[in-house]
Amino acid sequence: MSLLADAFTVLAVLAGLFFLAAGTLGLLRFPDTLSRLHALTKADGLGLGLIVLGLMPQAGSLLGALKLLLVWALAMLAGATVGQMIARIARRESQ
Amino acid sequence: MPPLAALPRFVGLLAVWVVIGGADLKGLAVGAATAAIATWFSLRLLPAGVLQLRPLPLLGLLLRYPLQALRAGTEVACRAFDLRLSPGFVPYAPVTAPSVQRDAFLTWSSLQPGTLPAGEDEVSGAVAIHALDVTQPVAASMAAEEARFARIFRG
Repeated sequence: MSLLADAFTVLAVLAGLFFLAAGTLGLLRFPDTLSRLHALTKADGLGLGLIVLGLMPQAGSLLGALKLLLVWALAMLAGATVGQMIARIARRESQ
Repeated sequence: MPPLAALPRFVGLLAVWVVIGGADLKGLAVGAATAAIATWFSLRLLPAGVLQLRPLPLLGLLLRYPLQALRAGTEVACRAFDLRLSPGFVPYAPVTAPSVQRDAFLTWSSLQPGTLPAGEDEVSGAVAIHALDVTQPVAASMAAEEARFARIFRG
């Protein structure tokens, strides 16, 4: 069971790292600020989510797992709110 | 503020404190004081009763989210590798009138695949949605998501 949980952790964290790397690639390669925001809010959000999912079986308690989930939820909420505000400013400045 | 309206929010914020800081007694005393202050601010910013949520549609929306996050993240990752981009703005006129509900929907839609609200157009009043590929049916997917999102509110 522990081996299965460890294997799940390794796979999910690796997948998370892949999406974080893809988000960084998008940040570097996308042509404008607004497109780069998609990379930061979506690919990185998924990357962090997969890492959290992978670490949950290793948390040791339900409270620990909930804490990880809360970190992800707060990161997504902050990303969604701030992303929109930056997008608004970037659009205004590009006009 | 009526104590009954404050209680659910206080309990929710205290639960967040317990999840982050643990449930030991010393910490709980600080947590209760912090949750009380946070409740006061919360009720000032969003008075009780402004957002009346329906639990089941809300649960459905939240359970659907991981799949949407997977779609959104995968789409951006693919485009980061092959640079198949056609970025631009798509005007979208939300059905919901300007309100807290509309702001909540726009925040939610910024986490959906391919869409990022970037403020209102001064002339038309429509919301400018930034998309990585404007050839995709962006307005239609926003409308479908808005209809789904509207179901979580009462009335």
